[in-house]
Amino acid sequence: MVSVLLPQLLHGLVFGAALGLLALGLTVIFGLLGVMNFAHGELYMFGAYAGIAAIGLTGSFWVALIAAPLAVGVVGALTEVATLRPLYRREPLYGLILTFGLALVFREAVRQIWGGDMRRILPPVEGSTPLLGMTYPNYRLFLLAFASALLLGIWLFFTRTRAGIIVRAAVQDAEMLDGLGVNVPRVFTLTFAGSAALAAIAGLLLAPIFTVYPQMGVEMILLAFIVVILGGMGSMGGSVVAAFVIGITQSLLTLWMNPQRVAIAIFGIMIVVLIVRPRGFFGREGVLE
Amino acid sequence: MSNPLSLRAALVFAALALLPLTPWMSKYYLLLAFDALLFGAVAMSLDLLIGYTGLVSFGHAAFFGLGAYSAAVLLEREVSSLWLSLGLAVVVVGLYALLVSYFATTRRGIYFALLTLIFAEVVYTVFRYTQTFGGSDGIQGLPPPSILPGVLVDTPVGNYYLVVSYLFFAYLVCRTVVSSHFGQVLAAIRENEDRARFLGYDVPRYKMGVCMISAVLTGLAGALYPGRAAYATPDLLHWSISGEFLIMVMIGGLGTLVGPIIGGAFLIVLQEKVSSYVQWYSIIVGLVLIVIVLFVPKGLLGFRGALRLRGLRRGST
Amino acid sequence: MSRNGVLLQVEGVSKSFGALAALTNVSLTVHAREVVSVIGPNGAGKSTLFNVITGLHGATRGRVIFDGQVITGRAPEAVNRLGLAKTFQITNVFPGISVYENVRVAAQSRAPEAGRLASLWRRPDVEGTVMELLTAFGLEGRRDETARNLSHGEQRYLEICLALATKPTLLLLDEPTAGMTPGETKEATALIRRMALARGLTLLLIEHDMSVVMGISDRIAVLHFGEKIAEGPPEAIRSDPRVIEAYLGGAD
Repeated sequence: MVSVLLPQLLHGLVFGAALGLLALGLTVIFGLLGVMNFAHGELYMFGAYAGIAAIGLTGSFWVALIAAPLAVGVVGALTEVATLRPLYRREPLYGLILTFGLALVFREAVRQIWGGDMRRILPPVEGSTPLLGMTYPNYRLFLLAFASALLLGIWLFFTRTRAGIIVRAAVQDAEMLDGLGVNVPRVFTLTFAGSAALAAIAGLLLAPIFTVYPQMGVEMILLAFIVVILGGMGSMGGSVVAAFVIGITQSLLTLWMNPQRVAIAIFGIMIVVLIVRPRGFFGREGVLE
Repeated sequence: MSNPLSLRAALVFAALALLPLTPWMSKYYLLLAFDALLFGAVAMSLDLLIGYTGLVSFGHAAFFGLGAYSAAVLLEREVSSLWLSLGLAVVVVGLYALLVSYFATTRRGIYFALLTLIFAEVVYTVFRYTQTFGGSDGIQGLPPPSILPGVLVDTPVGNYYLVVSYLFFAYLVCRTVVSSHFGQVLAAIRENEDRARFLGYDVPRYKMGVCMISAVLTGLAGALYPGRAAYATPDLLHWSISGEFLIMVMIGGLGTLVGPIIGGAFLIVLQEKVSSYVQWYSIIVGLVLIVIVLFVPKGLLGFRGALRLRGLRRGST
Repeated sequence: MSRNGVLLQVEGVSKSFGALAALTNVSLTVHAREVVSVIGPNGAGKSTLFNVITGLHGATRGRVIFDGQVITGRAPEAVNRLGLAKTFQITNVFPGISVYENVRVAAQSRAPEAGRLASLWRRPDVEGTVMELLTAFGLEGRRDETARNLSHGEQRYLEICLALATKPTLLLLDEPTAGMTPGETKEATALIRRMALARGLTLLLIEHDMSVVMGISDRIAVLHFGEKIAEGPPEAIRSDPRVIEAYLGGAD
């Protein structure tokens, strides 16, 4: 039994770590900019395709791991300046609809350039390691280590650096930035670029495990939304915790159910949590906030 | 209460009723008109939510598709009465909408968008991946419905008049809601939800109410679809359909009711004509949406039209 | 009904947001027809106190009793229906509709049809109430103007009209003269006081402007870092050493 459970548990941690990177970006943007970025899944997808391009040019996954997030971060920054910035003063529904339109454009553009077939990125690290009585793929171990280190680094940024503390406080309460003499537009753009880069890293990291295709962002964004709701809107720590919970739950459930039933089960869990604890694991109180 | 039917609207419906009598309305165009008006009607009921109350629903395809499957399930079993199909659609969609809106309206705005999307995705998953309702093939080969015993609606003209009647009914409902006290509270919620609560309005209850009205109207439209298409498939439940409804509202103009109908017609025709360039289609639609949001947020008809329609003039009741 | 004419009783209310203690053991009593002001440096917890009273937040400890009923933790619309209305510190009207429509929707919340199915086809007639309020605040000439086009002072008045349209017995005013010129402030203060007397209202105010506070209040409560440090009639507060220190102690 353990020999079956344990790998699944690890799979769940691995997936949860990447999902955490994705959901974290979504939460930060929502808290800071007030925009629920419906194109976030497409930024994730960009990461994988940018990775394909980078690997095609240089042959190296490691170069891609740096180049792809950078490239997608730039795309994110440009997008924010050109399309989102004019909307901050308007009702939030415009931001939703705009990012929905962006998602359409991004998805289709990628399909035009790379075609709609599934692509593969080969894992840069092969083989498996004996671990706790089984052997586990090295790449997944690398992914878990890398994503966790990144999450840790982000946590340090948000708790130990001045910039990070300010951004984190602003995620809770965006108005406080006004009184601090901070260049608010620049903070917004950089944060958006950062969240895009995180999504791209998640996309590239998961690409060798799942296949790469234009729709890959759509399924992930739904999961990311569930994570954000479970974690509590505006709670960064909540998003990460919820991501791991969802990742592990999903992984374990696939032992007993087919993927569609797993999806429905996850949804059922979300409903139960919403009933029992409406604001999510760590959401802030105040229905009107 | 003010008359919900303006002279202008009455003329438009009269024109629509006379349209099949013109020489160029072939079977092809009648079916195209059916789609345009049906989806336009859905867009109009979605506008109640988005344009009037400020709630964005990404899950309207679920209301539409559930209505379609309700009718399909009855037609499959040789229960051909259209009224029974419509009745079942009201019940099924109503219950689903009650469930969704209960969770989606008691929290702040963004939850509504996310939860309508997630719920709709689950509905799609259930219909597409389980065999209970035919899986990915759906329910095919349906007989036409009947509006009276022995009177079948099985021609393009018949279906066309059916949809025009439905559009008329839906329009009356929407206009009544919008010009009622209920509608004014919706506008207040859109303008400043917190303020409305502090004035004593049970805002979640109002949101649930408008969500259910919009959902049931959409479900009724869905129930008409199998009569025209002779099938109900999971594609009708896909989130891209929800997206299309949204786009129709944006193109036509938020808060105008009539605008989304035109937006619906526009999009359907665009789809038809541009289908040969189908690869580019999504990019065009996405770009149109972005351009509208950034530069022409009020869509083709715009908000001013809405104020006129609602009769918000001095001294009017 | 309340005993000894006590309309609002705040009993030992504490409110924390995570590690941040916004209010600590605040108690306050407001009698019917009184005008009580709450003052204190920025961040003292005044708005938080209002938010706890009106139901936006629950209290971490303690309770609020209004007109004999415990209202802590109840939803804002329920609290409003009991007779407690509030204005917002940052003007919070309905920006896209006209002045008349603003007050109308507020007044209609008290109509019997509100919240019932009948509201789908009936419209309550509140013209009288609306015009009376608009006239009392000098806004009747602006009735068709879109709310966002009003001057700042007019919008503050509109705020108050909205709150009054719900027929409260207790009115909470959160910095009603914020952003007004000294002339406007004087006018507003007189208007508010007249209006409160005319309608037999009880007022609870947050204010920064000392002239307003001293001129209008029966009693003043002073908050500092979430605690009540003083309470009493204006003359006593004016000369209270703790109050002077709080304001001059660099906290602003």
